[in-house]
Amino acid sequence: MAEEKKGRALATKAAASIPKFVRGNLAATIKAKEEGKKVAYAYIADGQDEIMRAMDIVPAWGESFAGVCAAKRDAEKYLQKAESDNFSRSLCTYATCTIGFDMIRSELGVDIVPDAPWGGMGRPDMILGSAQLLCDPRFKWPQATQHYLRDVPIFVGAMYYPPFDPKLNHHEQEKFYVKYCTEELRECVKFCEKHTGKKMDWDRLAEIVELSDKTWDLFIDTYELRKAIPTPMDTGDAMNTMVPLTFNLGTQEAYDFYKQLYDELQEKVKNKEGVVEPEKYRLIWAAGLPSWFALGDFQYFNSKGATFPVEVTYRGCEKIERLELPKTSDPLEHIAWRWVRYWTHWYDKARKRPGSLPKVERIIEYIEEYKCDGVVFHSAFSCRSWHAGIIHQAETLKKVYKEIPILILEGDIVDISSYNEADTHNRIDAFIEAVDAYKSRMG
Amino acid sequence: MKRYFAGVDIGSTMTKVVIFSDRIEATIIGPTGPEHRKLANKVMEEALNLAQIRFENLSYIIATGYGRINVPFADRQITEITCHAKGLHSLLPTVKTIVDIGGQDSKGIKIKDGKVVSFVMNDKCAAGTGRFIEIMADSIGVPLEDMGIISLTAEKAAPISSTCTVFAEHEIINKLASGETIPNLIAGIHESVATRVSAMVKKLTIEQDVAVTGGGAKNIGLVKALEKKLGCSIIVPPEPLITGALGASVLAKEIFEKYEREGQMPVRSSCGLQEAKIFS
Repeated sequence: MAEEKKGRALATKAAASIPKFVRGNLAATIKAKEEGKKVAYAYIADGQDEIMRAMDIVPAWGESFAGVCAAKRDAEKYLQKAESDNFSRSLCTYATCTIGFDMIRSELGVDIVPDAPWGGMGRPDMILGSAQLLCDPRFKWPQATQHYLRDVPIFVGAMYYPPFDPKLNHHEQEKFYVKYCTEELRECVKFCEKHTGKKMDWDRLAEIVELSDKTWDLFIDTYELRKAIPTPMDTGDAMNTMVPLTFNLGTQEAYDFYKQLYDELQEKVKNKEGVVEPEKYRLIWAAGLPSWFALGDFQYFNSKGATFPVEVTYRGCEKIERLELPKTSDPLEHIAWRWVRYWTHWYDKARKRPGSLPKVERIIEYIEEYKCDGVVFHSAFSCRSWHAGIIHQAETLKKVYKEIPILILEGDIVDISSYNEADTHNRIDAFIEAVDAYKSRMG
Repeated sequence: MKRYFAGVDIGSTMTKVVIFSDRIEATIIGPTGPEHRKLANKVMEEALNLAQIRFENLSYIIATGYGRINVPFADRQITEITCHAKGLHSLLPTVKTIVDIGGQDSKGIKIKDGKVVSFVMNDKCAAGTGRFIEIMADSIGVPLEDMGIISLTAEKAAPISSTCTVFAEHEIINKLASGETIPNLIAGIHESVATRVSAMVKKLTIEQDVAVTGGGAKNIGLVKALEKKLGCSIIVPPEPLITGALGASVLAKEIFEKYEREGQMPVRSSCGLQEAKIFS
């Protein structure tokens, strides 16, 4: 039987409302059949959110469901199931968790998988994969899933962006990448039209894309309120409040959520209401997905007087103005520019600091703007694409910026067998002592 | 009047106590073990006897190590990372990188002026810790304390490919059965641990001088293997087991004196010299 974890205190009311959001998203995938809507397996940061919303396709997000299973400490049955078909434990556990889930669905021959956390995901009518540079499992995860859902059609698009090379001028390359991404999105639309039997309403898509842009802007405005000292919200909450941006982009609900959060944070800033009192240390969560089964560790940091006013993880947007997007009447081209520039707008800055990297520049900017005293990374063993670069980022940060205390936590996103609370807390204790020494050294 | 301070380091296998004034007055090392874990007070009593002072003479006590929360009479708990840095710096001020090979984990610590700059830890896997060597010593029937010296007579280290401690034990037994010599096997065991520890420590940018502490430092074969892997010479402090407890005692003095300078008194534990109740 799954081990239920104790509830976690959240600093904001908005964050506390997120479980309803997530349950609602999962329930929508199950209700879709009654409502005559199609369900698509979808993967975050895929660029396809607005296409799905414009065509009334209900997304079933594998990463979200796997995160729920992990947070409920009920993922092991799916991980073991996938392992029984030779999917290694070292593969992405988001992928293996959902593959195990669909193996059970396939074996039972049912649409709704019994005993799934929060009802599970409804059976998809299509799989919309996104094999972009975010992570390598995205190529094979949708295909492996289809192995157990033989009749479900699959589309795997790719949203590439130019790699960073300090010697190359990426501005010349961007257009090529945008053209490629736009064509991929156009193929996605054709695929969705074929499998929904509906034509894309391009005006509606343009409106949804505009709403997404507004949501990006509002998200950043909201999160920038966290620069306040003491910070009114930390990463512990942000791992919840990322849900509307990540899984509900292009919906009015997502926009309204950030409006509500904005108002709440503004009030807290006005009242100087911080996450912890007194706020002794400000940290940045610089990379890595969290251990969804151990989100309480953020409170452990809080118990030491430490807060995270900023994180790189799930800050999957930027102020639109900052991206200087070329004008276009094609909403797909706009999505492609937004995606490519989301990554490349750090490149010029990185080129100016010899030896630096765009990801490191981003961390430096946040350290400066949010006045951070230390840096925390989480190296999740099954999230290879991201964690393989963490040490390089940490070393580069120290080399090109300054000798700031860095903690690299080790664990996983879903697989709890990699986690030991006592050892993790011991590392946090030692890190806090190092940050304290650093602060006293710096005066 | 002379003031005394104490550092208590409850490690996974050994408990260490240092009584400090303006110099080391007494050091005691005793086994931790499942029963001893609650008996930090007994080790402290021995240290007090050795220093010829009473418990009431201690102005401030700091506990460290993974069992630091089980020292009811300690006034404060500080992690072993910070204490090792402080202790080692007080003994060898030129050291900038510490490699600590303990019974249950291993660590790399970068220090500057006795303070921690960064650290890495292996607390996930027995391979790369003292426990690995202990288990292998049992398998081949060689006393742990003889492992280092015997390995120096090896002709060629026998490679141990398994990183899992359980499978490595099996591999060693097979190699022994197929005629591999004991010295070669032990050298292979040390090389295996040194490989893992050095890979971890290299995550820090290693700066010399480098020192090794913990039980692993008492194994000359392991230290030599580590020197080879890190590509630099390694300093072994005179008593590598006590650096954590020493650092705790030095910190106890510094913290007490800081309070004193500010005209305050630090908050003391209300418990006398008693055993921890947590295990009863």
